Amino acid sequence: MKKILSAVTASVMALSLAACAAAPAAPAAPAQAPAASEAAAEAAPAEAKEYKVALCMSGAANDQGWNQTAYEGAVKACEKYGMSLDYSENLTPADIASAFADYAAAGYDVIIGHGYEFGDPALEVAATYPDVLFVCTEADAAADNVASYVMACEQTAYVEGVIAAMMTKTGKVGGIGPLQGDSLVKIINGFEDGAKATNPDIVVETAWTNSFVDTQLAQEAAEAMIDDGVDVIKHCANACGNGAISAAVAADILCQGDSYDQSSFAPDHMVDSALYNLDVVLDIALGSISDGTFKGEVYNLGFADGAVDLCFTKNIPDDVKAAAEELMEKIKSGEFEVVRDYTIRN
Amino acid sequence: MSQLFTLSFFTAFLAAAVRLAVPLIYAGLGETIAEKAGVINIGMEGVMLDGAFFSFAGAWYSGSLAVGLLCGIAGGVLMSVLHGVICIVLAQDQTVSGLAINMFALGLTSFLFKLMSQGQSYQQVETFETYAIPGLSKIPLIGAAFFEKDILCYLLYILLILFTIFYKRTDLGLSHIAVGEAPHAAESAGIPVHLFQWTALLVNGVLGGIGGAYLVLVQLGVFTENMISGRGYIALAAVILGRHMPLGMFAAALLFGLANALQIRLQTIGVSVSPYLLAILPYAMTLLAMLGAAGRSSRPESLGKPYVRGSR
Repeated sequence: MKKILSAVTASVMALSLAACAAAPAAPAAPAQAPAASEAAAEAAPAEAKEYKVALCMSGAANDQGWNQTAYEGAVKACEKYGMSLDYSENLTPADIASAFADYAAAGYDVIIGHGYEFGDPALEVAATYPDVLFVCTEADAAADNVASYVMACEQTAYVEGVIAAMMTKTGKVGGIGPLQGDSLVKIINGFEDGAKATNPDIVVETAWTNSFVDTQLAQEAAEAMIDDGVDVIKHCANACGNGAISAAVAADILCQGDSYDQSSFAPDHMVDSALYNLDVVLDIALGSISDGTFKGEVYNLGFADGAVDLCFTKNIPDDVKAAAEELMEKIKSGEFEVVRDYTIRN
Repeated sequence: MSQLFTLSFFTAFLAAAVRLAVPLIYAGLGETIAEKAGVINIGMEGVMLDGAFFSFAGAWYSGSLAVGLLCGIAGGVLMSVLHGVICIVLAQDQTVSGLAINMFALGLTSFLFKLMSQGQSYQQVETFETYAIPGLSKIPLIGAAFFEKDILCYLLYILLILFTIFYKRTDLGLSHIAVGEAPHAAESAGIPVHLFQWTALLVNGVLGGIGGAYLVLVQLGVFTENMISGRGYIALAAVILGRHMPLGMFAAALLFGLANALQIRLQTIGVSVSPYLLAILPYAMTLLAMLGAAGRSSRPESLGKPYVRGSR
């Protein structure tokens, strides 16, 4: 009996590990499984002179979020430019450099690291393999054969700040973020700048949950703001932002979504959502390699490149929408530049 | 800054602290009961996460909060039964089992939630209503925080009192304590050690499951991956800080709730407190409490040691 039981429990535990590996790994959670060895299983080597692209990700390729959009964008771009694609999932920061080196040694031409944490390892490995091109998203790494592509999320945040300032009745708006990482700090700062530019007397309350997953704390942050009279809340807190949205709905105030169209979360309270189009970013990156214009720089891609966008809901009045669209045009044309500020404010 | 020192600020702040503390208190009470009987369940995080997910799934598919709550309890019990099989029946290491349960629950719930939400638009469930207790809820400062709550919170107050009486005033409670302190002695006095440990673990699963379900069914109405985000471990800290007594644990969990509510509220009014500093607060306080209590531990003597009948 005991032997059977141990066998059963052991297999349950093994299953759990497998499930963890397959699990979509919220960005903050450490990935459970080592790098999948897609590199070794190199598929059909097609015609000669075809670029071989490798995509390295911190989570699963089917996580319905950050990594899935990158994977799908890479598939699309590779098809378009006639490149072949392999990928590695669930890389922990410690695995990145060796995954990069494996791909480079295996003769890949282009290696994509998806996320800020891939920047430094890319610089490190790129020095050893000068013939391999490295592309990093959201990083600030640049060298002869390393380019980084950053989405100008501060542009969408700035316009959302303007919208919030135009729609608040109490003169108080709030912004809720998860961890104080560069790409998130610039969103909250952009939001604050946009709101203050519209109404210098506006009060912008901000809070950080220090977690991507602490949904209850995001809700409490929103509650605290609502108690203070805030009536428009912008979040960029990934999954835990759902807590902020549910607090906004319960208190019958307005909210602004993030990453993708979140209007179904709060059909009567959501004003707009900021969209970050990773497929456009990867298309631009691989396109520049395909036509030979690749340069080792840090690119900031915004409205003008289609890398970021806003989608409005029925809850936004026509005049506010018109003002927002006008501002977006100005940013697009370069007539107005949104300041990108990585400093953590209060 | 001026908002800081008004009555309405303190009232709202205390209410937030209690909201943040209730899931911890449920889990902490469940953990206290298991630890009293000598079984430590480090898998409380997993128990809560399971409770949260299954309560959400149950409420979503049935449309009924009561069904959701039962599913959440079943989810929590599932994890603690697994823990019981490993630690009681197979007499394996309780710490290892608990950690494995946390990972298992994270993988399981994330996987099932993916299946559940695939191709669906946003999923949300109704939440339990609040009932103000006439009279008590009108007390300034604490009235709204403690007596304008939902049915699960009132149930928690009753449970806290009942379990305090149970351990202090009943023979059965004393037997439970004996099992955790000296299982061999208890067995020779005719106390069925394993039966008592199983009962304690089942209660652990039920209360931990409700702790997770509370987040979904009372507070948020939504499930998100890994949403417990460390509350299970904080509950363990509350048990130690509360010296393994229900009311002590209640006070400790409330303290953690106060700290968390304070930091998030200070942030919104522009007072800078590093979130990292506050994140270590519960653990720092627990360590301090353990240092202060060195030599006169409240920890059950046989906590974490598997009991094998007839061995010595």
